This record gives sequence, C-alpha cells and structure tokens, in this order.
Amino acid sequence: MSEPHGKKSLGERFVSWVNGDGETKDRTLFVMECRMPRPPCRREEEHRKLEKRRVKKFLGWYPLAAGLICVALVAILVSVVLAMPLFGHPDNPTNNEVPTYYLEHTEEDTGAVNAVTGMILTYRGFDTLGESCVLFMAVTSVMILLWQDVKNTDEHDLQKLAREEEIKRKNPDVVLQYAAKVLTPFIFLFALYILFYGEESPGGGFSGGTVLGGGLILYSCAFGFGRIHTFFNSRIFNFLRLCGLLLYAGLYGYYTFTGANGLGDPLVSAFGGLSLPIDFAVGMVVASTVYGFYAMFTRGEL
Amino acid sequence: MLNALLENRFAVIAVILFGIGFVNVMMQFNLLKKVVGFNIMDSAVFLFLASLGYVGGRGAPIVTEGVVDASLYINPIPSGLVLTGIVVSVSVTAFSLALIVRIYKKYGTIELDELLERVKKEED
Repeated sequence: MSEPHGKKSLGERFVSWVNGDGETKDRTLFVMECRMPRPPCRREEEHRKLEKRRVKKFLGWYPLAAGLICVALVAILVSVVLAMPLFGHPDNPTNNEVPTYYLEHTEEDTGAVNAVTGMILTYRGFDTLGESCVLFMAVTSVMILLWQDVKNTDEHDLQKLAREEEIKRKNPDVVLQYAAKVLTPFIFLFALYILFYGEESPGGGFSGGTVLGGGLILYSCAFGFGRIHTFFNSRIFNFLRLCGLLLYAGLYGYYTFTGANGLGDPLVSAFGGLSLPIDFAVGMVVASTVYGFYAMFTRGEL
Repeated sequence: MLNALLENRFAVIAVILFGIGFVNVMMQFNLLKKVVGFNIMDSAVFLFLASLGYVGGRGAPIVTEGVVDASLYINPIPSGLVLTGIVVSVSVTAFSLALIVRIYKKYGTIELDELLERVKKEED
C-alpha cells in the first residue's frame, strides 16, 4: 500500500489530500496509521453486536462524565464569584479612569450624546468594523451553504417549492396580510428613527438595522418573495451589504489616517460627528444580513 | 459567604445559566438542541458582562445637556462589549444552523448517535 505513495512528491500528496483522496489520507493521519489492521474474517452480525456494545458502554459513562465536568465547572465559577468585587459598587476595578474619560469627553470628541454609541463608533471603531465584517462573513458563508442553484437542486425540490408556492397563492393569509400592510410602514419608520437617533438616545446601527430587517421579513412573509423583489432583490441586497461595509471602512479609515481629531476634522464636523454616517452604514449591513438569513433559510435564494 | 452570593446575584445566575447551557451542549444528542445550549451560554455571558457595568443608583450613559459628570452615569464599556458578543453569537448561530440544514439534507437525521452510525456505515 505504501509503494505508490512513495513515488509521489510532497506537493502531489498534499494536493490529493486536499481533494479528499482516501488512501493518502490514511498515510497523512498518524492515528489512522497506528490503528491495528482489521481482522479479515469477522462475521457481519458479530461485528454489529460488538459495535452496539461499544456504543452502549460509551453512552453509559458519557452522561456521568459530562455531568461531573459541568458540576466541577460551575463549582469553580461560583468560587470565582465569591472572590469578585461587590455588584454595583462605585469603587469596583471596572470603573476606572477609562469610562470616566469616555463619559466626560464623548460629547466634545464625537458629537454623540449617547456615550455607548460614541464609544463603539469612534473610540473603539475598529471593534465595530470587525463586528460588521463578522456579520458580512456570516451571511456570506450561510449563502455558500444554502444557496439553491442548478447544481444542487433536483426535480423533486423544484416540485416541492412549486407546490408550496401554489398552496400559498391559493390560500392567502388575510390576517397576516392586513397586519403587514398596516404595520410595515410604521416598522420602517421606527427603524429609521432608531437608526438616526442612536447618538442621542438608546439605539444605533445594530438595533435599527435589526428592526429594519424585521420589517423586510414581515413583508416577505405576508406577500411572498415575488412582491418583495420589486424593491429588494439580490442585486440591491449585495449592493447594500457591500456598500455599508465599504462606507464604514472608508469613513473610519479617513478618520484614523487624518489623526482622529474628533470634531476638529472638516469632513467629520460637516456630518456633525462620525456617529450618524457610520450608524447608517452599520444599519445597512445589519438589515441586509438579517433579511439574508431569513431568505436563505426559507427559500435558499434572494 | 451567603451574603457575598446574594450581593453578586447576577453573576451567580449567570453561572447557573452557563451550567445549564453547558449541560445542554454536552448531553443533548440533537444538534439543534446543542445550538440552543450554545445560545443559553451566550446569554449567561451577556448577563455577566452587563452586570459588571452597573453602578448602583446611576443612570443610563446618555449625557444630558450640560451635566458632564461621570459620577452620574453607569460604565458604558461593558455595554459596548455585550454588543460585540451579541453579533458574534448571532453569526455563529446562523452558521451552525446552516451546517445543520446541510447535514440533514445529506444524512436525513440530526441526532448525533444515528448520524455517527450512518457516517461509519458510509465509511465502511
């Protein structure tokens, strides 16, 4: 078995290992190599019986061990809690000079009254940029896994989808449709309110974007994907999430490379602080992400 | 000791929630329930972080006009960190659910023991 592999070079072996070639995998994985060769003549039933006994044994001690590990973990954590500083005390080590600085200088540095928004969008903007990238990557990977196209859809799936559409078209949910017709504009309005008042009140890009995505989900739930495609198709979806991310990266990059002067910068002070445009960008990314998850899991396309 | 536990009640509840989620992840053989366990663990961490930022008797960190005094507001940093945590938790949940959908399409089950059996049968 080892002769044909000896001839291959390391690069070829690696390529065939990446491609999932079975035999090469046996050589590459050390554990597999060490495994004893299987006894050649074992009857099928005997093998199955042994396997069943092994699984039963495993399932016998597994819950016990898991419970023990969990109890030990909780005990350790409780002992840590006992050594923690008291809850809500002003002299706790978490309330050091950093939050004091943020609270006292947020308004003059960033133009945002809400200290949390000012903090996450300007002082710690790279953190939030990373979050937006995480959301972007999450919806991209979900699309990679669940996108239904010609290659992974067979006749059966198509017929099933068509049947479901037919049923939905013949029996429209009147209550849901009327509720959606009344509620959707208000939900969008509320989402925009949260989005744009994030610097003065609780809210901001993440919460506003989520509400916006929720409104889109309600609309497509009630009226189907055909109706929502009139104003929100996959092209607009991709445009929104890409533009949101690029807008954020561009604005924050400009802000950082010009010295992060707070409101002293002409472009930043023209916006009245960075919070508003960045909140808008984050809201675009979050709304398209939330709606993208819904569309991917229900239908597999946008 | 009881007094300390009562004082840090949010941390204690967070620990208990974390334990519940951990047991869920370890003991459930259904992959969906494992994801639910992960989410319970996430909530425990958020509760713990948010409780760290609270300071007794102070208000939300929204600076009202003219009153720039840090001793009036709670700590804004843990709130921002919880936001990061929520985003990561949502992303991980969506990704694992998508993986579970694919697993179900391929093997027809999401029970871990049946799944392992089927994978093994396919390997043989």
